[in-house]
Amino acid sequence: MAQQTPVRPLGATGDGAMIDEDWEALRFRVHRSAYRDPEVFRTEIDRIWNHTWLYLGHETEIPKAGDFKTRTLGGRPLIFCRDAGGEVRAFFNACTHRGTVLCRHSEGNTKFFQCFYHAWAFSNSGELAALPGDDAYPDDPAFRASMALRQVPRLQIHEGFVFVAFDADVPDLLTHLGPAAHYMSLTAKIGEHGMTTLPGVQLYSVKGNWKLAVENAMDGYHFAPTHNTFVGYLRETGFAVTDDDQYAYDLGGGHGLLVLTGHNGRIGMVWEPRFGDEEKTRTVAKRRELEARLGPELAAEVADASRILFVFPNLLLFDLEALTIRQLEPVAADRTDVRAWQFVEVGEPESVRALRIKTMVSFVGPGGLATPDDIEAYEAVQRGITATADSADPAHDWSDMSRGMANEKQGNQGRSIDEGAMRSFWRRWAEKVGAGTSVAGDPPAGTPAAGPATGGAGK
Amino acid sequence: MSASSTTAGSRGGVVSVASREVTRAEVEEFLYREAQLLDEWRLDEWLTLIEPGGRLEVPTTDWAGWDATTAGYFVADDYELIQARVKRLKSRKAHAENPHSRTHRMVSNVLLLEAGAETVWISANFIIHRYRDNGAYTYVGRYEHVLKVDPDGLRFRLRRAVPVMESMDPGARLSFIL
Repeated sequence: MAQQTPVRPLGATGDGAMIDEDWEALRFRVHRSAYRDPEVFRTEIDRIWNHTWLYLGHETEIPKAGDFKTRTLGGRPLIFCRDAGGEVRAFFNACTHRGTVLCRHSEGNTKFFQCFYHAWAFSNSGELAALPGDDAYPDDPAFRASMALRQVPRLQIHEGFVFVAFDADVPDLLTHLGPAAHYMSLTAKIGEHGMTTLPGVQLYSVKGNWKLAVENAMDGYHFAPTHNTFVGYLRETGFAVTDDDQYAYDLGGGHGLLVLTGHNGRIGMVWEPRFGDEEKTRTVAKRRELEARLGPELAAEVADASRILFVFPNLLLFDLEALTIRQLEPVAADRTDVRAWQFVEVGEPESVRALRIKTMVSFVGPGGLATPDDIEAYEAVQRGITATADSADPAHDWSDMSRGMANEKQGNQGRSIDEGAMRSFWRRWAEKVGAGTSVAGDPPAGTPAAGPATGGAGK
Repeated sequence: MSASSTTAGSRGGVVSVASREVTRAEVEEFLYREAQLLDEWRLDEWLTLIEPGGRLEVPTTDWAGWDATTAGYFVADDYELIQARVKRLKSRKAHAENPHSRTHRMVSNVLLLEAGAETVWISANFIIHRYRDNGAYTYVGRYEHVLKVDPDGLRFRLRRAVPVMESMDPGARLSFIL
């Protein structure tokens, strides 16, 4: 029995707290209304999505002047485009005249966005370019200027990852990203000629709260039981999955990182039998290329370990066998839309590209051999947590995330199979939405490491 | 190229492949039998319909004809992965399909598009209703298969299911064979 302290009886915290953290009992729990309550969901949209940097898309999705995608973010329809001068922009996708959805295509290339309703047209940098029957409007340039397409207040780009904020008063993107920026940079350095998203975007939706998708990605504990059949498949290809000596990091700001060395190989960087002999030879050459370009230490940091990075609140970057960018779009307390892009090296050989796509989608995505079981988990939680809602005994309407607290209290680095990365996410969540937190006992002193020591994963 | 853009094809639902005729009726029978095996979760029997070296593909909903070596897909299985998928789905530990979804497949609009040296390229429409956990999901799409013509039957060289929905609806995962 690892637990030295008697467990306190369960019960309501008494002060309406949604997060109950107890460092004597070594217990951390989240009230299940956090996943369920439409009021909590509205508060999240208001306090998180309306006032935080959000991942919009990657600039390689719109490589040429005039390219655009339309995409809903935090419930707001947006146009994500590159203007005639090559600048990346984000506009609210609503005509300034009456609010009609301006661009009804999901993607394309255009110099002008024209509203079909009254034929107002806007340039791809937002100016009102055509105002039919303008003799009946004020003859004043200020009028036209006031009707320019509404730009999202903030847009900044880090390593090609485009973020926007609906609130002009957010801190700079790099301040928001903190140590997470470094891990995005590591991934961006994989390709000698850069990295790009591919067409063929996985668009799907799950009947579960968005935070269940975050938890799942930061939760190494579920991997072996949930993905039993995938682990079995890897074993048959000659690769044995292990969870030993792998760690989770709190990057601050709600961002989290799992660094994994025993779950999979990495195409071009760490060979495993499933990748085939041709790739084995190429891996040696690719590692040499990385070392020559980045130096041995940085090359090792880029290549040796897999990483699952969560950037609060809506970006998951899976840098595993291959790479997937996943974006979470909360639709309702019990529904989340998911978008996922393959992220690949520019200019890699066709056979490697094919291997990358085959390997990644065999694992990640709603048609893979693993993600469907994760979706099953989110959806089964969402259904299951109605069992304890509004019951006569409120003690049971909590979800437990205590795993590894004793270890954390001793000041040790949290393992990937503990629940520390989830706890740090929930603390940040509570701070942002203003949810009550009850803390008993003394939390561990000192600041946890914001990532593994340079030059490798874990210790 | 997507099959929907092809207007050429068989006349009267018959093509000649490798010194024998393939009729629409034969292709329909093949697709109906396949649908029955899948609806009844007879996956080992289903696997015998795939030629060794065959492929199983489901493009994404934004598909514009890209092949699975150049763009993201939902499913891009080579034969080894098809075998792994079947093995997984037969396991009680394939949680997403334990218990199995109930599926009900309708296949129609079968066209013989083009004969090759030893294959026939066909298209068909499908509607699959899936039921699980008190949820009902409808998958609508088009098959674009390349069938290997054997002396005594047909097998899949490429089995491709192209969804026509704009995205996978809430809960509409692809944990079964589409």
